[in-house]
Amino acid sequence: MTALLIARNTFREARRDRMLVAALWAGGVLLAATQLLSPLALGEGLKLTIDVGLSGISFIGLTLILLVGTSMVAKEIDKRTIYNLLARPVARRSYLVGKWAGLAATLWVTAIAMGAGLVLLLVVRGHVEHLAPIAQGVYFAGLELSVVTAIAVMFSAVSTPVLSALYTIGLFLAGQWSYDLRAFADKFPPAIAAVCHLTASLVPNLPLFNIRTLAASAQLASFDHVAMATIYAVVYCSAALCLATAALETRDLK
Amino acid sequence: MITDEHGSAPDARAPGTPAGAAVSARGLTKHYRHPWTLKLTRGLTDLNLEVGRGEVFGYLGPNGAGKTTTIKLLIGLLRPTSGEAWLLGKPIGSEASRRRIGFLPEQPYFYDSLTGREYLEFAAQLSGLGGQEASTRARHWLGRVGLGERPRLALRKYSKGMLQRIGLAAALIHDPELVILDEPMSGLDPFGRRDVRELILEQRDRGTTVLFSSHILPDVEMLCDRVGVVLGGKLVRTATVNELVASQQQRVEVRCVGAPLIEVPARWRGRIERVELPEGTTFVLADEREVNDVLAWLLANGATLRAVTPQRASLEDFFLSVAESEGQSRRMA
Repeated sequence: MTALLIARNTFREARRDRMLVAALWAGGVLLAATQLLSPLALGEGLKLTIDVGLSGISFIGLTLILLVGTSMVAKEIDKRTIYNLLARPVARRSYLVGKWAGLAATLWVTAIAMGAGLVLLLVVRGHVEHLAPIAQGVYFAGLELSVVTAIAVMFSAVSTPVLSALYTIGLFLAGQWSYDLRAFADKFPPAIAAVCHLTASLVPNLPLFNIRTLAASAQLASFDHVAMATIYAVVYCSAALCLATAALETRDLK
Repeated sequence: MITDEHGSAPDARAPGTPAGAAVSARGLTKHYRHPWTLKLTRGLTDLNLEVGRGEVFGYLGPNGAGKTTTIKLLIGLLRPTSGEAWLLGKPIGSEASRRRIGFLPEQPYFYDSLTGREYLEFAAQLSGLGGQEASTRARHWLGRVGLGERPRLALRKYSKGMLQRIGLAAALIHDPELVILDEPMSGLDPFGRRDVRELILEQRDRGTTVLFSSHILPDVEMLCDRVGVVLGGKLVRTATVNELVASQQQRVEVRCVGAPLIEVPARWRGRIERVELPEGTTFVLADEREVNDVLAWLLANGATLRAVTPQRASLEDFFLSVAESEGQSRRMA
């Protein structure tokens, strides 16, 4: 219950932040840019629009996470606003879950708003067959952003805003290349390969959430894929938030 | 157990059953170790304290003495190095211990984008009140602390005094049984201080236990049933304000005329201060027991008495003397 209250407050704060408005404007500009570039895409204009539109959701979401999420807990400790919450019957885990849920909800709303803009654009251009794949693409982008948000909150609970931003970017990039890391591991001796495989298992498997190519060709991801991505996101977010809670539980709030 | 300069325990009421007291601490200690240099800083050492229910307890000490460390330990923001403590019978650090307490941090900070009313509703809900009840109380408390006229003003536009008031309202909105205030008068103008004093007195009348730290000794003297003095991370004395003040040597001021040429005998030098004023001479006696001898000596030398006024020692006098004696004993050690 308290986590829900904190999530609602975090969402309300983020909604009033100019950063969110700027992000939505940036999304609009990105979509408009695809329309200007479409004639240069040699017949692949539709594909370009969908690909850039869905990538834009991830990119703008990641930017918001880096600007807001990575400093979220650290800033609260630094500004001492956290005292107002933790001096009440609020468990530290509820606080972290609430902060994560509030920012994740903000990112979901942003993703849905940008997805709606993309759908509107395609409807105007008469490409209704892409609506379901785009909706699925937005869902996957939301899952991906939720995972990255959990990572940002985890680092924010133990580090400074700058360092947690760097760690989050690092883990995001490593996550994007997790498949390459596994392929790379096979070229090394067994001991190093084991380390590479372990690293690839620990970093978030972000390619799992990338269905942009499928959506651009009006194809839907399978039910198994959707279920796997959903379960993976839930498990990864839970693990990151558990680690964050363990770190915050023992931390002195000076 | 720490003993004070009289050889007695700092808290005359030794900690008993935790459930019976509003605040109870046994051997509560907080030391910090620097992560790189490993240098140890003693924030608070072996605190034994008991604050009874319904009591207004003032926690005094200079900057860096350990007041805020104690409060943060009680609230659960810091983890103790050793020792244990209870709030309203519940062990500190547990959610249950914070369920019936109100807390105002020193220089409170809030979520800038919220309005005063939204913040109070949020605070009330976090303390377990339902949405409708939280809304009703938010309106009431906003008016109670004098901010009711602009409920939609964002907190970022609040002045320091307004923030202190909204912080107090948030601390009291859920009718807590124990209120812990860290420097509640800090940075307030005289009107703000008066309002805070009234709120504390109102809580006392309701039977709420109030523990607050302060530098402003006249306020502490006016409000507190008992005070504790913390110096260098150690609680050196707890007593009622009257006990503390009575334990101080009473000074006496003797005003007279016709004494400008009388010389103070050598035996009293250093114990009698002489002040020449246009309207006469004032002798300030450090020890009231000498008043009869001094009066006899003045009358014998032809002076005319105008007034004999006992000077009641203030809490400030007590505080300064304790701080100085502690400083001296440490230097000697």
